Amino acid sequence: MDKVKLNKYFERSLWVFHLNTGSCNGCDIEIVAGLTPRYDLERFGIKLVGSPKHADVLLVTGPVTSKMADRVRRVYEQTPDPKAVIVVGTCGTSGGVFYNSYNLKGPVDQIIPVDVYVPGCPARPEAIINGVLQAWIKLEKLREKMKVITPVK
Amino acid sequence: MLGLLETGSGFWSALIWVVIILVLSALIIYLRNKGEASYKKSTEQDKPFISGNPELSKENSHISASHIYWGFTEALKDYYNPLVKFHTGNINDYSGWIIVVTAIVLIIVGVSG
Repeated sequence: MDKVKLNKYFERSLWVFHLNTGSCNGCDIEIVAGLTPRYDLERFGIKLVGSPKHADVLLVTGPVTSKMADRVRRVYEQTPDPKAVIVVGTCGTSGGVFYNSYNLKGPVDQIIPVDVYVPGCPARPEAIINGVLQAWIKLEKLREKMKVITPVK
Repeated sequence: MLGLLETGSGFWSALIWVVIILVLSALIIYLRNKGEASYKKSTEQDKPFISGNPELSKENSHISASHIYWGFTEALKDYYNPLVKFHTGNINDYSGWIIVVTAIVLIIVGVSG
């Protein structure tokens, strides 16, 4: 990706809401690692927010347990459009080692539409950052589409 | 009525207040229009975020004082429970307590005085 193209996508800050749907916390720790000084995602304007109502992107970890399925759906619906969903980790992507558990409603794409998959157990911070960038590119395309349909005043 | 009212310590004008209210209203409308306009009404986007949990009815979603002081009353329940039993709601009981306590106080004062 060249510099001009990258700058185009970095016009706006990207606010991310992290949702744990039954993860072992391995992926969650790697997400936090992405915010530490070593990777420092915030220098790109990417930051975690406390409410999906403020978010552009949903970062979902975990295989979606029965109790969480309804909550995941509700959080997705509460996120304003345009939005992108990133699944971090093998569990959210395919169910992982829990794929045939009696207590799963997932993986995530059986509950809500998913845009980017970041596999790994846990996923590396570099992979998560790459996933966020992919979601960002997709989000900007969605924004362009929305501008065509409903011009921003 | 709309003129300038001067007093010894200052002045008061209804017109200034009208102008201030108009300016503030314009500012509020401007800021409100800068907000997210694309949210969908009458969907989940219209409801509060309660960690993904469904919104209860307004009657059931309030937090009562007993929630706030739960730990406090739980820790002091040995003290509170007998006090709660005293509060029967019967005025005769309360009058009886006043008479008994007054009698005890008078006895103490009489004996020591």
